[in-house]
Amino acid sequence: MHLAFNEDQATFVTVLAQMLGDEAETGFHTVADWGRFDYGTALDARLEEAGFYDAAAEPDLGTVAAAAMVHEVAQVPVTVECAASALLRPFLGDDVPRPLAVVDDEAPGAIRFLPQAGALLSITDGAVRLARLDGQAREVDSLFAYPMGEMARDKLDWQTLDVDPATIRTLWQIALAAELSGVLAGGLSSVLAHVRERTQFGQALGSFQGVQHRLATDAVWLEGARLLMLKAASSRAPQDASLALAHVQNHATRIGYDLHQFMGAMGLTLEHPLHRWTYRARALRAEMGGAPMAFLDYAEARWRAA
Amino acid sequence: MDFTWTEENDAFRARVRDFLDRELPTNWDEIARHGPGSREQTEFSLEFCPKLAEAGLLVPHWPAEWGGADRPTWEHFIMGEEMWAVGEPRGGQYMNVNWIGPVLMRYGSDAQKAQYLPEMAAGRAIWCQGFSEPGAGSDLASLRTKAIRDGDDYVINGQKIWTSYAGMADTCFLLARTGGADQGRSAIAIFLVPMDTPGIEVRAIPSLIGHGDIHEVFFTDVRVPASCRLGEEGEGWTIISYALANERVGIPRYEMSSQVLDLMVGELKARGAFGNAIVRAKAAEAAAACEAARLLVYRVVDERARGVPPGTAANLARVAVVEADHAVTDFGMDFLPDCFSGDGHAGMLAHHERAIVTGIAAGAAEIQLNLVARRHLDLPKGA
Ligand SMILES: Cc1cc2nc3c(=O)[nH]c(=O)nc-3n(C[C@H](O)[C@H](O)[C@H](O)COP(=O)(O)OP(=O)(O)OC[C@H]3O[C@@H](n4cnc5c(N)ncnc54)[C@H](O)[C@@H]3O)c2cc1C
Repeated sequence: MHLAFNEDQATFVTVLAQMLGDEAETGFHTVADWGRFDYGTALDARLEEAGFYDAAAEPDLGTVAAAAMVHEVAQVPVTVECAASALLRPFLGDDVPRPLAVVDDEAPGAIRFLPQAGALLSITDGAVRLARLDGQAREVDSLFAYPMGEMARDKLDWQTLDVDPATIRTLWQIALAAELSGVLAGGLSSVLAHVRERTQFGQALGSFQGVQHRLATDAVWLEGARLLMLKAASSRAPQDASLALAHVQNHATRIGYDLHQFMGAMGLTLEHPLHRWTYRARALRAEMGGAPMAFLDYAEARWRAA
Repeated sequence: MDFTWTEENDAFRARVRDFLDRELPTNWDEIARHGPGSREQTEFSLEFCPKLAEAGLLVPHWPAEWGGADRPTWEHFIMGEEMWAVGEPRGGQYMNVNWIGPVLMRYGSDAQKAQYLPEMAAGRAIWCQGFSEPGAGSDLASLRTKAIRDGDDYVINGQKIWTSYAGMADTCFLLARTGGADQGRSAIAIFLVPMDTPGIEVRAIPSLIGHGDIHEVFFTDVRVPASCRLGEEGEGWTIISYALANERVGIPRYEMSSQVLDLMVGELKARGAFGNAIVRAKAAEAAAACEAARLLVYRVVDERARGVPPGTAANLARVAVVEADHAVTDFGMDFLPDCFSGDGHAGMLAHHERAIVTGIAAGAAEIQLNLVARRHLDLPKGA
């Protein structure tokens, strides 16, 4: 039992934090035409060039560093396709293009990152398939703070990958848990900064106990979620992965509500970044069937059949 | 980052489990059904702890000088998990090994160490903790029990409440005020008071967690020699802070919760009721609360093992532990209500009695939330 990063992982997250601290690339900027997301093209290119997306395959970094990266990158207001690239792509064989969009269990409707994606990955119980894309996707408007796209998926040239679907599914659960706990942590930091500064009734909002206890409870849930996610990244066990995803999806609704409540009307505008986190969280909390399905996966893994 | 146990850890755990398999009697569940501070459990601990001591398992983390073996932090913690998982057969003696002993080692006089530590290490000492008062619960520093110096003695007057183990304790670790209330924390001192001193009266309080668990303790002109004082006058608060830092995460409650959850699932399966998706998902939700609490607690232990100074991890952990305990007992009451009546189910009843106090005993969860808000989230103090 040793819950600190190893030396390589610690260096990796320190350098990453420096890159993410570059306000020009990662900070909040409003987007023309009331855009709800801001794709971090510059950040994405820098992460790719510096080899960050390959960490999972490096023995001294591994999936723990990759998951930590997804968690950190999710905390900036710009959005990049990081989760699938960091946690799935290194295990899919050579030459898989990125950004990588993912569809689980043939879920209908628009898919996150499809407009940017170099490939679409389909994960089902029976197979993991890849289709290379070449601008076929149609960008659609969405409430979610992600670029979303649609396409006629049955017309694509699907290639079945020589990988174990269960393994990839587990990695995808870890990736989603990392991204969701990250976006919620990003939203929480932003709300904390607000309630420390904003005064009403002659005192900072953050000094009211009604506000403090809810944010403190959210912090307890999020820290638990982060540790469950790192444990899953470390073990890559299906039981750990489904629990990590279930736990954070389960609490995401309540945390999202609190974050918006304490931001007041400002949090409902596109001039404040809060929606960049909470509306990513809303998309992520429904992925793979949401908390109930992840709980059922866990129950199956721990207690087997009835 | 490594979330697995070493071979040495596994071997130690196996040794503790073997010991429990051998030494816990077949009617242990019935004994554990009585609250942890009950006469039944305390009497049992006086048979059980000496055996633990003989096997080198009572205070392995203590220094060799005081009967320990200087074993690492994680082993001490594994010990706590295994004991709590079965309902804490050490009874109140867990306090001795976790924090009273270490506090005496640091702050006690040579005479106090010689008087108390060997008995604790032998598994024969029952202590109680005299902190809370009718007017001083969460706001402990407002306590009013007085200890007035009179020549070579102190004379103690006042009342303690909710005192676990007081009915059978030999000694009370007592907080009392040596100066006026206006002097706040700086006038608090600690006394190691033999419970058979004239003027001490103990009354059991009937409670939801069983009979004889919690008590009122009245002190009327209780005269003790000044040599009973631990540390200096005015040093009480510092010592208590050290003691609580040593206790940090307290009891590994999630371990019992997690095992009782398995028991509940086993019972539901036997009844053919675990096929229902809602029941399965709810069981998993309770498990998630347990596992989140476990990892938050492990982080505190890990920091201690690595020599990281205490931060806010323990405050987060304590809140999570409360959620875990309640999640499991609520799951049982929702889906197996019959197990809590009549003969019921001893394991579930034992867990229930322990779970309902989490979040109040050893400090309210809301106080932990205050600390998380202020220290971890850096939120401002109220006006
Ligand atoms: C089973 C059990 C065993 C115990 N054993 C011992 C023992 O051996 N020795 C001992 O000294 N004590 C013991 N206690 C007492 C325990 O430490 C106190 O109950 C605890 O500190 C809370 O004090 P209180 O009960 O007076 O609640 P109060 O302080 O009256 O508080 C009641 C509730 O108000 C809320 N509250 C209080 N203050 C605040 C605040 N600042 N902000 C927000 N909310 C607040 C919390 O929800 C709290 O639960 C035991 C208690 C129990 C239940």
